[in-house]
Amino acid sequence: MNVIVNRVAEFLHRFPPFSFLEREDLLSVAQQVEIQYLEKGETLFTQGEPARPSFFVLKEGTIHLVEKTQNEEEIREICDEGDVFGVLALLGKRPYLLTSRVIQNSLIYAIPVSVFEKILEKNSRVSLFFAAGFAAGQVVVRQDLSQGQKARSVLKTQNKDHSLLIFSEKSALTISESVLTCQPNCSISKAASLMAQSQVSSIVITNADGFPLGILTDKDLRSRVLAVGLDPNHPVSKIMTSPVITQARQDDFSTIYLTMIKNRLHHLVLTSDGTDQSPVTGLISDHDIFLSMGNSPAILIHALVNAKEISEMKAIRDRAEAMLRYYLENEVAMDFVSSVMTEINDLIIKKAVEMAKSSLSEEFSALESYKFCFLSLGSEGREEQLLRTDLDNAILYEDVPDHLQEQAKIYFLTLGSQVLETLLACGFEPCPAKMMANNPDWVQPLSQWKTYFSQWISLPTPEALLKSSIFFDYRPVTGFKPLAEELTEHIYQEIRVKKGFLNFLAKSAVDTPPPLGFFKDFIVEKSGDHRDQFDIKSRAMLPLTDLARVLVLSQEVVGVNNTFKRFEKLAELEPGHAELFTQAGKAYEILMRMRAIEGLEKNNSGRYLSPTSLGKLQRQLLKTTFLPISDLQEIVRIRFQLDLFRS
Amino acid sequence: MSWIDWFKSSKPRAAFLEGYVAANTEKIPGIRPIDQLTFVILDTETTGFDPNSDHVLSFGGIKIKKNILQIADSVEWYPKTDRQPNATATVHGILQQRNQLELKEFAVKLVEFLGNGILVGHHVGFDLSMLAQILKPFGLSNFLNPVIDTVQFAIRLDYGPLADLSQIAKEPYSLDQLCTRFGIQLDDRHTAAGDAFLTAQLFLKMLKEAEKKGIRTYSDLFR
Repeated sequence: MNVIVNRVAEFLHRFPPFSFLEREDLLSVAQQVEIQYLEKGETLFTQGEPARPSFFVLKEGTIHLVEKTQNEEEIREICDEGDVFGVLALLGKRPYLLTSRVIQNSLIYAIPVSVFEKILEKNSRVSLFFAAGFAAGQVVVRQDLSQGQKARSVLKTQNKDHSLLIFSEKSALTISESVLTCQPNCSISKAASLMAQSQVSSIVITNADGFPLGILTDKDLRSRVLAVGLDPNHPVSKIMTSPVITQARQDDFSTIYLTMIKNRLHHLVLTSDGTDQSPVTGLISDHDIFLSMGNSPAILIHALVNAKEISEMKAIRDRAEAMLRYYLENEVAMDFVSSVMTEINDLIIKKAVEMAKSSLSEEFSALESYKFCFLSLGSEGREEQLLRTDLDNAILYEDVPDHLQEQAKIYFLTLGSQVLETLLACGFEPCPAKMMANNPDWVQPLSQWKTYFSQWISLPTPEALLKSSIFFDYRPVTGFKPLAEELTEHIYQEIRVKKGFLNFLAKSAVDTPPPLGFFKDFIVEKSGDHRDQFDIKSRAMLPLTDLARVLVLSQEVVGVNNTFKRFEKLAELEPGHAELFTQAGKAYEILMRMRAIEGLEKNNSGRYLSPTSLGKLQRQLLKTTFLPISDLQEIVRIRFQLDLFRS
Repeated sequence: MSWIDWFKSSKPRAAFLEGYVAANTEKIPGIRPIDQLTFVILDTETTGFDPNSDHVLSFGGIKIKKNILQIADSVEWYPKTDRQPNATATVHGILQQRNQLELKEFAVKLVEFLGNGILVGHHVGFDLSMLAQILKPFGLSNFLNPVIDTVQFAIRLDYGPLADLSQIAKEPYSLDQLCTRFGIQLDDRHTAAGDAFLTAQLFLKMLKEAEKKGIRTYSDLFR
C-alpha cells in the first residue's frame, strides 16, 4: 500500500465509522477515495437531485446542509472536519433531502458506496452507526449510537414519486373535457373575458360544427395584443394560432405526449377523429402533465431548453438515463423510448451548436450567413442511441466563394470541435474511428460530400462499404436541412446509375453468419477481453441494421432512419413479406432493449452479454430475435442475385 | 554533442513505447475545459541532483480527472538501482527499499501510468530529466506530454503570465511555503509519493484560483 493511500486511511481512521474498521478494510476504502476541492459559495449536491454513487467526509472546511422551503433556506446541519454526510446514497438510493453549501473552502473526500456496501454487510457496528445517524439527522452522521431504534421507521417510508407510472396508468392524467370555445368572429376582448370567467389559460376557436380552427392562449394575448397595442375589438381570428395541431381523444398517452414534446406545444387540442375536421373533445395542457409527474421527458426537455451551463446539461442527460432505465424495465414501447431519447440528445446537440455559433460569431462574422447542417451518423443518425455510446457526426456546409474557402474550413472545423467538446463534457463517448465533426475530413462543403459519396458508390472497396454503413444513416439534427436533402437526392441519383453498388452493400449485409452455431448455441467471442461473451451489436443488431438499410435504399425510401421503422416501412411497401419484416422490426426493438438494460446495469456500452448469466427466458427471447436474420439474408441474396455475384 | 553523436546514441524505440507515443501525437484541443483534462502529478526522490550520474530511488504519482483527485490512481514505485545512495538518501530515509522494480518493468509501468496526461510537479523539469534517463535505453529521450511546473504556475497566478521569472524571489514558492500558504498540512515530506500527494492537493487548490482568473481551458493553461 503506498504512502498516499496510507495517508488517506490515517485521516479516515480518526473518525467513526471508519475507526471501527479493520486495517485491511480501511485500506480498501481509502484506496477508492476521490478528493475534490470546493470554494466558499459552491454547492456539492442539491436538494431533490438523485443520489450520487458516493457519500462524503469533510477533510477540511465547513459545509452547511440546508433545506429549501418556499422562500428561504434553513440550516439543518453544520459539518466540520471529519463529519460524514450525504449518506442517503448509501442506504436508500433516494434523492438528497438537503442542499450542501460550502461555507468555507472545503476539501471533500468522496467514498464510493460500492466499496462500503460490502463492509456494511459484515460489520454490524458500522451499519448500526449509519442507521442511527440516518434516523437522527437524516443526512449527517454524528457520533451517537443511541438512536438505532428510530432507523427502521425512517427506512420504511416510501418514496412518493410516481412520476413515471403515468406510462402504465393512463388514468393518472386528467384531460379537461369541457373545453372553452368561441367563434372566429368573437372579439378579442370577449374571448379574454370568457377565459377570465372560466379561469383557463386558453380558448379554442371553432366553426359552427365545432371543428377547431385555431387556439388563443394567455401568451398570445400578451404578445400579439397588449405588446403591440392591438385594438381588442378585432375578431379573435386575426390573432389566433392556426391551424391547430390535433390528436384523437382515444390515442394512447405516449402518442399524445410525443406530439406535444415534438412540437413544443403547451396546449394540445383533442378531437374525435384526431384531425381538425372533427369536433373538439378535449384539451390537454403541459401544466396538467407537469402536475402529474415529477421526472418526465417534458420536464427534462424544458430544463434542457433553459440550461445555461454545460454541467446542467450533463446533469439533465444523467437524469434522462434514470428515466430510460424505468422505461426499459417497464416495457414502454421502444418507438416512444427511442424518440424521447433522440429528442433529448438532439436538443443537447442543438444547444451545443448554438453555443459554439455565438462564441465564434465575432471572429468569423464574414461566414455567419453561410448555411450549414449538423449531421448525426450511425446509431444517433438512426435515432437508436439510447446510451451515450460512440458519437458519430459531421458537418455539411454550403459551398462558399473561393476567397472564403480557407476561412470557412477553419470556421466550421472550430465550430465542430467546440460542439464535440460540449458533447464529451455531457458524457458522450468519442468515436474511436474519429468519424466526428472535429475531424477535418468530415467537416466539408456540399460539393465535397457529393464527391465522397460518389467515390464510395462507384468504388465500393471494403473501406468504402464500412463508411457507407455509417454515413448512409445520416440525419440532419440542426441547421439548414435542405442541404442534407440535396445530398440525399444526389446519393439516390448515383445509386440509380450504379446499381452495382447495392449488390456490394447487399453482399456485406449477408456476410455476417447467423448468431447461432450448429448446435443452436450462441456464437461467442473466441479470444480477447470478451472471450466467451456474446457480441449482441455485431452479431445480432448489425446484420439487421445492414439488411434494413440496403432494402430501404433499393426502395428509395427517404427520411426513415430507424431500423425498426425501416422494417415497418418495408412491410408496408412489400405486403408479400410483411410478416417477416414486422418480425424483424420487433426483433430489433428487443435487441435494443436488452443491450440498453445490460449497458445501464454494467455501466458500459452493453455490447457484450454473457450467455451463461442470462436467464432461460431471456436466452430464449434472444434466440427468437435471430430467426428473421437468415430469412432476410435469403431474400437479399435472391433479390440482389448474390450467388451470381462473386467479388 | 553534435547531431551525429545524438544519432549514434539514440536507441531504437522499444515496442512497449508505441502506445505512449501514439497517444501523445494526438493534440489536445485547446478549447477542452480543464474539468475534462487528466493531470498526472508526480515526484521522485533521487540519489543526487545530476541527471547524468544520479539515479531515481522512488517515484510517486497521482491523477486528477474531472477536477477530482483519484486515490485509486495513486502509485509509489521503487526502480532498481545499484548506486550507493549519497547524502540525500539519508534525508529521505530510503535505504534498500522493498519491492524494487527492474528498470524495464518500471519503464513499462511508468509510460502506461503517464499516458497522454498533463504532467504536473514541483520543479518537475528535474524529475522528468531524471526519469528520462531510465527511458533512454528503450529509445525515448524526452517525455512527450504537456508539462506544468507548479512553481511557475504559482508565480503566474501571483504575477500574471508575463512575469519576468528572474526578477522574482523564489523562496515563497518552495513546496513547504506554498503548502502553508494554501493551508495544506505538511505530511510525509521527502517521500516521492508523499510530495506528489501534497503537490496534487496544492494544484487542485491552485486550479480554483486559476479559474477565478479566467483560466478555464487547456489553451488558457499554456498561454
